[in-house]
Amino acid sequence: MNIAVCLCQVPDSASVIGFADGALDRSRINEVMNPYDEYALEEAVCLKEHIAGSLVTVFTVAPLSAKDMLRKALALGADRAVLVSATEPSDPYLRALQLKSALMEFYEGIIPDLVFCGKSSTDFQSAQVPSMLGALMGIVSVSGVTSLNLSGEYLHLEREIEGGVEQIELHYPAVISAEKGLNQPRKTTVKAVMEARKKPIDLLTVSVDGAPLVLMSDLKALERKKVCRFAEDEKDLVLLLSNECSLFPGD
Amino acid sequence: MTKFLVFLEQREGVLKKSSIDAWNRVQEIAALSAGAIVTGLLAGPVDRQRIGDLLAGDGVVYHANEERLRPYQQESYTRLVTSLVKQESISALFFADSSLSRDLAPRLSVLLKASLLSGDLLFNRQGYPDGSFRPVYSGLATASFSPQRNISIYTLSPSRGMVIRSSADGTVQVMPTAQYHHSSDNLLAEVRRIVLRQNSLDIAEAGIIVAGGRGMGSSAGFALLEELAALLGGAVGASRFAVDEGWRPHAEQIGQTGKTVAPQLYFACGVSGAPQHLAGIASAGIVVAINSDPDASIFQVADFGIVGDVHLVLPKLIEALKEFLKKK
Repeated sequence: MNIAVCLCQVPDSASVIGFADGALDRSRINEVMNPYDEYALEEAVCLKEHIAGSLVTVFTVAPLSAKDMLRKALALGADRAVLVSATEPSDPYLRALQLKSALMEFYEGIIPDLVFCGKSSTDFQSAQVPSMLGALMGIVSVSGVTSLNLSGEYLHLEREIEGGVEQIELHYPAVISAEKGLNQPRKTTVKAVMEARKKPIDLLTVSVDGAPLVLMSDLKALERKKVCRFAEDEKDLVLLLSNECSLFPGD
Repeated sequence: MTKFLVFLEQREGVLKKSSIDAWNRVQEIAALSAGAIVTGLLAGPVDRQRIGDLLAGDGVVYHANEERLRPYQQESYTRLVTSLVKQESISALFFADSSLSRDLAPRLSVLLKASLLSGDLLFNRQGYPDGSFRPVYSGLATASFSPQRNISIYTLSPSRGMVIRSSADGTVQVMPTAQYHHSSDNLLAEVRRIVLRQNSLDIAEAGIIVAGGRGMGSSAGFALLEELAALLGGAVGASRFAVDEGWRPHAEQIGQTGKTVAPQLYFACGVSGAPQHLAGIASAGIVVAINSDPDASIFQVADFGIVGDVHLVLPKLIEALKEFLKKK
């Protein structure tokens, strides 16, 4: 079984995130694997461990500096890692196009059995790439998966919906977008990290023919400070709220 | 003539409140812009409700009233929407932001070569929607997004309080629409079952949310929040810490790796206010913070606050609220 995992890098939420001239100030940030992608990778590796002859390959469209993240993915159990060079995509559609073209080239035109992605990246938070990738590849996609079981040719999935859970059954190939709760990602071990250093990283260059669907502009730091009015006591707070909030019961 | 299409979502035969809200908001937009026509598409049957009575304004709702469309099915829903958008020359398609739209809209965007936008709407001079504005980088920044194609798809976040207007004005005409049964419809992915949690108001649709974090101390500590939420008719939410500790289910998590919510009133109890949490409440109306640390960053985004231990403040707040309600 061929399992592909699409990874991306995002600024570490612990680093100083600042903006200059309408762009992210990259000088002070540390980039890490997108948190949702960790669930995607873990699920792919778990599947591989249960299905003999499976191969997990991770892909990222990123600059060469992303090699560290790919080594981490190898240490976490991926078999192969592919660093895809392409022009920086300006929207999720171009990103999905680049990924599709990288997957098609790597797998020589044969659609992999499963493609895992994180539900959303924590930088632009559009949560569009997985479903777009499914549409571009002409295969089904399921977003926000919280449980996955494989039996024969069927996948049994669960995804969270408003107020409950949807249970889905499907045949692969499919694109699965991983939601928090799908699994508990493992930690790297020193031995695995050492071994990963020796593994090669494949380089692939793609160029896609397409125009963006959406243009992002006006990126700026959000000033959200309010002046907090401290209530004298709980009774005072109830009174304040009953005056200020129309939904407050009793009105 | 500009035509808008609102996707109306039913779940288990009930038209969703968030879809009704989206329809009514699109009616308002159409009224303010130079005469756009509002149409709707409803996939699957709606039981025991008259669709026309639920929706405000004038318009046409195309209803694919087929039993097999009752559960969400990506492939048939995709085909249904794409064919109607083409047939009716729709220029803007609207969804209420939901688990369904997050699955379906990106696919439609690719197949229709349409610009997919989410967040608060931006308008052009004629009053037509022309882009969106939303938080990025976990709520640390904002950005504007503008469509580059002729067709746009907007996913509308819940409006504050989700006011459902009376539908006395206007007439909504319901027209049956059929869908080709493709031979390739061998159900690539099929929803087998929907398991709904009992008696729980979803935080994404709640007008009032009472959320707890690390300061609640344990899952038992949330009993106070349950009581407060019940008194207020609201829902209980949780911070990432509370969910990771197993105190509350992930469905209740608010913030970067959880849900984005837009209640009219938000209580943050024992929540420190990490940027990842604040990202989820950027559109909340009034924020009330209760925290023992007066320097907690949650107070910087709060309208009202009480400095104190949640275990002492909440029982008194519940008492004060009960007394207030008795007097009413």
